[in-house]
Amino acid sequence: MPELKLLTKDIDKKDLHKLSVYEETGGYGSLKKLFKKKPDEVIEMVKASGLRGRGGAGFPAGLKWSFLAKDVFPRYLCCNADESEPGTCKDRLLLEKTPHLLIEGMIACAYACKIETGYIYFRGEFQHASDLMDEALKEARAKNYLGKNIMGSGFDFEIHTHLGAGAYICGEESALLNSLEGRRGEPRLKPPFPAVEGLYSKPTVINNVETLCVVPYIINEGPEKYASYGTEKSKGSKLVSVSGHVKKPGNYEIEMGTTVRELIYELAGGIRNDNKLKAYIPGGSSTPMLPADLVDTPYDYESLAAAGSMLGSGALIVIDDQVNIVESTLRLASFYKHESCGKCTPCREGTRWMWQLLDGIHNGEGTNQQVDKLVDICDNISFKSFCPLGDAAVGPVASSIKYFREDYEALLKRNAEGTA
Amino acid sequence: MANDEVTLTIDGKTVTAPKGTMVVDAAKRVGIEIPVFCYHEKLGPFGCCRMCLVEVEKMPKMATACTLAVAPDMVVKTNTEKVEKAQKGVLEFTLLNHPLDCPVCDKGGECPLQENTFKFGSDDTRMEFNRAHQDKATPLSPVITIDRERCIACQRCTRYSDIIEQEQALVMLNRGFNNEVGTFDNQDYDTKFSGNVIDICPVGALTNTDFRFKARNWELKTADTLCAHCACNCNMTFSSRLNKFMRIQTRTNDHVDDGWICDKARFGYSFVESKNRILEARSRFNDEERVLETKDAIALTAQTLKKIADEHGPESIGLIGSPYATNEEAYLYQLMFRQGLKTNNIDHKAYEDLPGLPINHYDFEQVESSNLVLLIGSDPSEELPILDLRIRKAVTRKGVKLAFLNDQVTALDRFAETALRYDVGSDGDAIVALAGGLAEELGIEKGKGKGKGKEKEKSKNSCGIADKDMKALVELVRTSMKICVIYNPAALSAGSMVKLRQLLQTIGKIPTVECGAIPAAPATNALGAVDMGLLPSYYPGGLALTDADEIKKRFGEDSPLQAGLSAMDMIAKAESGELKALLVHRSNPVADFPGGERVASALKKLEFLAVHDMLETETTRLASVVLPSIGPGYDEGTTTNIGARVQYRKRGLVSESLADWQIISKMAGELGIERNYQSSFSITAEIAEKVRGYEDISKKTIKNEGLSRQAIPEVLGDLDGSVSDESKSKKGALRLRVASYLFANDKILDANTSLAHHFRSSTVHLNDKDAKKMKLEEGDAVTVSSAHGKVSATVAVGDRCNSGSVVIEKVSDEQGVSALQESAGISWVEISKE
Amino acid sequence: MFEFSPANQKRIPEILAKYPDTQSALLPLLTMAQRQEGYVAPQAMVEIGKILKLSPGYVQSVASFYTMYHMHPTGKYIILFCINISCQLNGADELLAYTASKLNIKVGETTADKKFTLHREECLAACSNAPMMRINDTYHEDLSKEKIDKILDSLD
Ligand SMILES: Cc1cc2nc3c(=O)[nH]c(=O)nc-3n(C[C@H](O)[C@H](O)[C@H](O)COP(=O)(O)O)c2cc1C
Ligand code: SF4
Ligand code: FES
Repeated sequence: MPELKLLTKDIDKKDLHKLSVYEETGGYGSLKKLFKKKPDEVIEMVKASGLRGRGGAGFPAGLKWSFLAKDVFPRYLCCNADESEPGTCKDRLLLEKTPHLLIEGMIACAYACKIETGYIYFRGEFQHASDLMDEALKEARAKNYLGKNIMGSGFDFEIHTHLGAGAYICGEESALLNSLEGRRGEPRLKPPFPAVEGLYSKPTVINNVETLCVVPYIINEGPEKYASYGTEKSKGSKLVSVSGHVKKPGNYEIEMGTTVRELIYELAGGIRNDNKLKAYIPGGSSTPMLPADLVDTPYDYESLAAAGSMLGSGALIVIDDQVNIVESTLRLASFYKHESCGKCTPCREGTRWMWQLLDGIHNGEGTNQQVDKLVDICDNISFKSFCPLGDAAVGPVASSIKYFREDYEALLKRNAEGTA
Repeated sequence: MANDEVTLTIDGKTVTAPKGTMVVDAAKRVGIEIPVFCYHEKLGPFGCCRMCLVEVEKMPKMATACTLAVAPDMVVKTNTEKVEKAQKGVLEFTLLNHPLDCPVCDKGGECPLQENTFKFGSDDTRMEFNRAHQDKATPLSPVITIDRERCIACQRCTRYSDIIEQEQALVMLNRGFNNEVGTFDNQDYDTKFSGNVIDICPVGALTNTDFRFKARNWELKTADTLCAHCACNCNMTFSSRLNKFMRIQTRTNDHVDDGWICDKARFGYSFVESKNRILEARSRFNDEERVLETKDAIALTAQTLKKIADEHGPESIGLIGSPYATNEEAYLYQLMFRQGLKTNNIDHKAYEDLPGLPINHYDFEQVESSNLVLLIGSDPSEELPILDLRIRKAVTRKGVKLAFLNDQVTALDRFAETALRYDVGSDGDAIVALAGGLAEELGIEKGKGKGKGKEKEKSKNSCGIADKDMKALVELVRTSMKICVIYNPAALSAGSMVKLRQLLQTIGKIPTVECGAIPAAPATNALGAVDMGLLPSYYPGGLALTDADEIKKRFGEDSPLQAGLSAMDMIAKAESGELKALLVHRSNPVADFPGGERVASALKKLEFLAVHDMLETETTRLASVVLPSIGPGYDEGTTTNIGARVQYRKRGLVSESLADWQIISKMAGELGIERNYQSSFSITAEIAEKVRGYEDISKKTIKNEGLSRQAIPEVLGDLDGSVSDESKSKKGALRLRVASYLFANDKILDANTSLAHHFRSSTVHLNDKDAKKMKLEEGDAVTVSSAHGKVSATVAVGDRCNSGSVVIEKVSDEQGVSALQESAGISWVEISKE
Repeated sequence: MFEFSPANQKRIPEILAKYPDTQSALLPLLTMAQRQEGYVAPQAMVEIGKILKLSPGYVQSVASFYTMYHMHPTGKYIILFCINISCQLNGADELLAYTASKLNIKVGETTADKKFTLHREECLAACSNAPMMRINDTYHEDLSKEKIDKILDSLD
């Protein structure tokens, strides 16, 4: 079986969110080992493990930690629990089922990076998860896993929860920082990068929930063990949210390099009604969709990139042959139009224009030229917007035209200019 | 090459620019234009419009030239196919929902969007859907119109409100495509500096309500001139069409205004066409009013003054000159009275002031480079708005600390590190306490004078500031590296000016402190008036009467050397009948000087009162002869701002009448002072020759940006003005502070101004404690009365001043608040419920 | 006039204590005001601005950026029905229409008895349990018509 449960081995244990239960599973066991090491050694371990960011960009976690501006304090840690990328629901699983694992991971990161304050930025809708986390934090404080002089190590660390209020863009790290500072969630100019000037203009580490949850495993089992899983450049396991037209949708932790076919047909039980696979979106709505004939692509950063898409946040959306792809594309275009922060022109105007065109095509009022125009608009947005949201919006549109132009043509106006 | 310079290549051209320069600005240096919308030099990089995309070698993605700082050996390309495609694409997005109404848009002809489209866009639109519609022109305030359809969401205006004016009043609302520029709950956007957003909006979304549809921009005639409201002397462009006033816009001069003007400058110029303008000379003798030819009025005035001087001696006549007049006018007037009439009865104000400074004279740029700005009695927000803006910049963006020593809370207090409040009238004690504290800390000898030790003891307890707070301020001053002291002479009590000078001297003695001061009297050319010798004890250039040799050398052997009367003394002597004749130039003592009606009755006793003014006032109504003054908008000449920068005020409109300098020089001619001035610049040349500090000032040296005059040596000499006779306090009486209000409904901002929404009603600010004691509440209608007058006002309760004091803003001429003021000493008032 | 309830007043210093900069408390205070009143009224923004030393315009600028703040009173239960891709693929559109007709309102409206407000919502991170809706703070997943009936009927 391709499942590899490094993070989720006890996830189904009853009341795992409670400290006592978590400790029974060996929880917080990594801290003793952690405090025996020097902070820099911890960073080296994380580097050696090959752990890459699970929030979307896949940037090596240890390397990111080592980029913090030297000798500038205080520094902050922000855990990105915004999870708003359509198709993605793996962080919510971790947050609700095993909040202490995240706390344990954050302690390790903070220790390695000499950080005394951490925030967990939850998307506003995660009230329940945030309440659970507040409970967990209280328990952890009571046992001195948090607070002053943690377990006699001399290390102080505190974590606070913070809720957003409805904005996909706040998952983007610099918009997250703005939101946490009580501003509009518009992304910031980079450089300076958060590692140099982040929260309150201080050096800041921002990591995804899953990324941080991996760290205790690396401390406990050693980086070599973690790196022994996966592929050459995509190490370890990955929690994948599988949704859409599969029989058994769910979050599956797999070894990197498992094929998409295995994910769909073995783990998720195949396509509903045993229909035919038409397309899949491998890494959340921003990643270009791929056609059925690429179903044997291994699920890892490099292979998916080679196939023309991305691993993204690890959300596999499966679409069967009963669907006209324009319908799904229109829905995603509508999402990006709704979520564009409006700061930059190409994204603000472009997402709306794409949606207008797709809506027209979907209603049978489109023309062939409009489909070409969509391609050109995609090109005019790509890499020209202020932040990657614009590029993300282009992903589904450009890929749907690339692979499923016939779905568009099926909807075009049947009058003379339409077919011209 | 200095090592903070960077060399790079743009389109094959080598460019050298200081570190931190953005590529857009570096490109400009070699004549390469990279199109921008959101970028504005004063607002800093933002990068939202994406118009300025360029290719940079070794960068995988295109970069925005407005956010990219130059780096050594960077290779930038702005004219590749890829860049052109990107520019076309971005422009297409920008125009996607922008109405195509250029022919009727009043930005037409000066619109960056139109220009960029022309240069970088494509000819046709590929937008097949209806453009998004929004309400057309709606009022954002009574003076600004917003056309949200045209907005391209560049955020210049909202960033301006946030970063520059520090108000966060104009903000972006909503998100994404629904983004819009707006205000809280749709309230008016009516800050003191709101109008600047009109100039920086790169499209026709924000427009000047008053100017809308008046003219197309290519029909305008423009003059690069100065604002004549306050003593900042901001640079501005004055546009007219067919000799009619059209509008005012910013004209950047970093030495002075940093690129901004206040709303009074922009919208407060309707006075140039006021119904109250004095267009003809007239006389009134024995209640008989007659229109005169100007030349006859000139002769009549000169001859009458001469006759009275001959009859009663030169001490029987006097001049109240104008702090609003140009240097040339002020210089000529004092010349006429000193050389032609042999009197030193010359002044321009109702407070004490002295020429020169014992420490450096700082300009506005020094405010930014100081690390402590200490304001004494000054309220820049109401008196000198652009200085206020500069201070906001210094504090919020340059890390400068701000400290106040004042008798009232001002709008700038929220930016201050410390704001100490002395009791109204105790400014002298507070200043002495600070100077004493510093001297003690430093172990240096305090300023000369006897009995100072005792005075210090007294002042610490008597000014209303706790010792520990004063100590903290002493510490703040002592440990600063560079201090800029800004004081308002007009807000100091009699006798305080000398103490202030001593404080400055003391600060100057702190070995580790670099320091300078800005004498921040609010009137347009207050400093010029002092420099030009509109003072009873000083000749131009700060020459004290005791400096007889120098005076004779520069101004002639028979220059009068006996001390003259101050303005307040002249009024007192008019009352007693000793002063027989007075000439008043662009000043309104009846409404503006302490005393009110008492001033009027004194002036009525004069045998001869000549008033040379631009608008009818309470004073012109009393005049025997009225001479028309053309005033700002029509006049030309130099003014010296409080930062000592001498600049040229150009005319924006042409007047048929004689300019003030022509009238004065003709009058002087009647008195035997023959000069042959060809233009106001001939007088400027004479000033350069005769007036210390002005040696370098000439038509050539001051054009465009102006030039700082040289320092004027300070003489700690006699004070101008009468010595305070502390008026007796009455039980239950309170000390009155008359505060400034920028948008007062006076002769300049009359009922026709578009700024009328800023007019306020008369309010008396009481301290909570006093209000409680007096059983008065917010909103109560009261009468404020002194020995000499009464004013109706509404009560405001708070902490604007210490208990025992009240503050009344001068909100209009009608209000009559100066009637409550004593000519010297503390003005005590009583408050009773109406 | 708007005032925080005494209980909420007490929470303000606790919230402020989390952050080195008071402005960070802006979203939490807006959320608290909304929980108290059901929506964020202009007066609440003024009050929050006073507490945090921010202009009311700034508060509104921030508040209006986030979709979870309601500027007008809403129903007692706010139903956010996810229609994003995973839910769409699993029939969310039909279920949303069903819910709307059951409540006898259009999407975006509030029932006459002010009990329910129904909104179309973007992805709420429950994709592998699609379709789903969120009612106030609670997620309801793996929806079917029967399940929706049961949930709505159970609310009073
Ligand atoms: C539009 C946009 C949305 C994003 N949303 C999320 C998100 O919801 N959760 C997340 O962890 N990262 C998200 N990211 C990625 C973050 O910017 C950032 O790269 C990540 O939090 C870094 O953590 P990692 O290195 O552990 O992946 C988003 C990025 C973009 C551009
Ligand atoms: S109104 Fe003008 S300055 Fe303000 S955002 Fe719109 S286009 Fe920019
Ligand atoms: S001018 Fe550079 S992004 Fe707007």
